[in-house]
Amino acid sequence: MFFKILNYLYGYVTITLPEECLEKFVNMATTRGIYLWDITNSIGNQVALNVRTRDVPPLRHIARMTRCRFHIIKRSGVPFFINQLQHRKALLGGALFFVIVLYSLSSFIWFIDIKGNKSISEAKITKVVQQAGVHRGLPKRSVNAAELEKAIIQQLSGLAWVGVTVDGTRLEIEVVEKVLPPNNGAQIVDLVAQKDGLIKEVLVLSGHPLVQEGDTVTAGQVLISAAIPPPKVEEYDKKNPDVVEDEDLQQQVQFVHARGIVRARIWYDGYEEVKLREQQKRPTGQQITKLCMKIGSKEIILMGPRQVPYTNYVEYAEVKRFPSWRNIVVPVEFITVKYIEQRIYYQEFNRTEALRLAGEQVLEKLRSQMPERVKTLNTNLREVKTANEEDIVRVRLTVETLEEIGVEKPHQ
Amino acid sequence: MAWKDLKNKVKRQLSDYMDLPGDIMLDLPKIVLVGNLQVFIENHRGIQEYNPNLVRVVVSDKVIEVTGENLTLRNIIPDEICVEGQISGLAFLS
Repeated sequence: MFFKILNYLYGYVTITLPEECLEKFVNMATTRGIYLWDITNSIGNQVALNVRTRDVPPLRHIARMTRCRFHIIKRSGVPFFINQLQHRKALLGGALFFVIVLYSLSSFIWFIDIKGNKSISEAKITKVVQQAGVHRGLPKRSVNAAELEKAIIQQLSGLAWVGVTVDGTRLEIEVVEKVLPPNNGAQIVDLVAQKDGLIKEVLVLSGHPLVQEGDTVTAGQVLISAAIPPPKVEEYDKKNPDVVEDEDLQQQVQFVHARGIVRARIWYDGYEEVKLREQQKRPTGQQITKLCMKIGSKEIILMGPRQVPYTNYVEYAEVKRFPSWRNIVVPVEFITVKYIEQRIYYQEFNRTEALRLAGEQVLEKLRSQMPERVKTLNTNLREVKTANEEDIVRVRLTVETLEEIGVEKPHQ
Repeated sequence: MAWKDLKNKVKRQLSDYMDLPGDIMLDLPKIVLVGNLQVFIENHRGIQEYNPNLVRVVVSDKVIEVTGENLTLRNIIPDEICVEGQISGLAFLS
């Protein structure tokens, strides 16, 4: 392989000579250190062989001595190729022209990509970019990324960050929009119940209350409505006559952003059971790691045991694979599996212990449903007894809390 | 001739005794056959005859005859010859 490349670089010729004088010719050439290769029979009793260009003059000398004539039938290699190219000026010019055009075209911007915009339209950003003097066909050198970033962020108020990068012939504009806090006051919002409960107190700041203390509400029910109905006509007193003028205005339903505090009593109910004799697992401290390589569907173990030496164990597998690029997925995965030996033991409780444990567990379960730092009014833990004695303790827990249950929801 | 035979005998015994490869001590050819496709002959003294069915290569005091079909000499350098083709036989002619 290496010799072939070298021969091609130096250039070689294929020569033919008559068969009868080949032996003498070849032996003489090899003793003089001339490298010959691919000696084959060609047409008739002629033999073809290859020799490097620079060895041709010595060969002429040998030919004279052996009284053989050889003919060069083919020239190959880089020096001849260059020679050929010198005769084809148009081809060379074309190749050069191609390279120059490719290079010069790659120094312009041909694509402008905008990413990351959600509410601001692409056309708007494009317009700002155009105004900043950046458009397709602009030389890459004249694009100042920092200035363009500044221009975009100044023109468009809704952006928090703009990143401009030039990637080849592509100008990438990545924007991050500002996330504004919800606009209070202007929106028409109801206050609705988050959970089922019994209303303890209602404090209306704005809006029309639809529930009273002592009402039972279900989740999703409107507590304070955004729609304020017009005041009753009876409430008008005639002493204020100018009210009558804009009576039609007063008749209309007014919409506000409902606000207020609604507290309710909420009940949480939970059930838990604890066996008096429970099977549990505990790691023994023994562990073993297995490293294997998965090619397609075949798995090869590189390190570690073929079979797990433990009877009870937990395994943690970690899979590493090559990042997929486009739609090419390398079907090779490295899997590290860690086996941790476990010992099974039985934990036994007496009834009071089990009861306490079950109570803790059920409370923990309910806590996850409740909001944090909530005021607990009442807890009621009772054991569920069955007719015949079992080695299992069942408990039921009811927790009563006082919570604020109003949440905002757009008015319908 | 007797002197040369004795010299060769001593050389062979020496190379046997010292575990030296014969191609160095005794100037013997080293021939490597790759299937029936290639034969490498090292330590040769040139070729004697070439045609597509027969190649004769001179080694120290013998001639190696390679027979086959479509034989070509892939390369020749001062100490190695490589013959390629469908080789059917290899014989030593003295």
